[in-house]
Amino acid sequence: MRFKLSLIVLAMLAWASIGIAAASEQAARSAGAMKFQIQLIWGTNDPKSPDDKHKPVDAEVGKKLKALPLKWANYFLVNKKSLEVAPGGEKKEPISEKCAVEVQDKGKSTFEISLFGKGERVVKRSQTLHVGEMLVLGGNAPNETSWLVVVKRIE
Amino acid sequence: MDFEKQLKLQAFLDGELPEPEAREIANWLAQDQQAALLLAELRNTRESLKGAEAFMPLPESREFYWSKIAREIDRLEPAARPPQAKPSWVAMWRRYLMPAGAIAAALLVALMVVAPNRGADSESEAAMSDPGAFTYRDYSAQATLVWLSYPAENEIADGERADTLQ
Repeated sequence: MRFKLSLIVLAMLAWASIGIAAASEQAARSAGAMKFQIQLIWGTNDPKSPDDKHKPVDAEVGKKLKALPLKWANYFLVNKKSLEVAPGGEKKEPISEKCAVEVQDKGKSTFEISLFGKGERVVKRSQTLHVGEMLVLGGNAPNETSWLVVVKRIE
Repeated sequence: MDFEKQLKLQAFLDGELPEPEAREIANWLAQDQQAALLLAELRNTRESLKGAEAFMPLPESREFYWSKIAREIDRLEPAARPPQAKPSWVAMWRRYLMPAGAIAAALLVALMVVAPNRGADSESEAAMSDPGAFTYRDYSAQATLVWLSYPAENEIADGERADTLQ
């Protein structure tokens, strides 16, 4: 009886240690991971977007966009995604049907950021991004509007 | 009346002359009827242009707008130039590489002096991978802008909706 009890206790301890090891590994992995927020934004002088789902960008991003030499009056958020890159790793995230962003960690807060449009790489850029910094990729769109893809490092 | 005098009159009208020179021109205008007529004509032209000039609001800053025009001219100019005979290496070296080397050396020195000082709020650079691209860095906003020619300068832009990347 005592032997059986010992076996059960041992099994429970082994199970618990496996669980703790897995949890700590997960914690270590996520602690080193770098998190990004990807936003697809539409810049326009129109006061509101024709698509009701488009909301104005958050105040912080809006303020940073106003600091750049872009003078569209309004910026609407078309889509927003989160992206997590492990140290030395890379991750690709679609931001719309035609557009995707890939972030590859190059070490020392330097990342290789690629923008894909219709499956083809539009631009690949090596960029230093510390927490809070953001890279804005953009271009002109018809009717004097613009498209913007904001890659902001949040962790 | 020679061209220099005509230019002086234009500068007088624009208020660009220093006080003694402006007085001198005013005296000359009092004596020379032809000069007075030309000044009146210049003034009329300026007033006409003021009223007729269409107002054009820019979606970007003035500097960025003009830089885009300059880049577009740079992009189109090589295509517009007629093909020329290939110059010899020696001539090319003397004509382009030597001044280019001197400029590169001067830029390198300037870069070494300026690069450690990152106190400025913003800087801009040309992205080499895309001839139509332009990079602007704002240190205070902690943001870098890369403005691409994609897709406005190709056929995609004409046939699609405003949110082209959707």
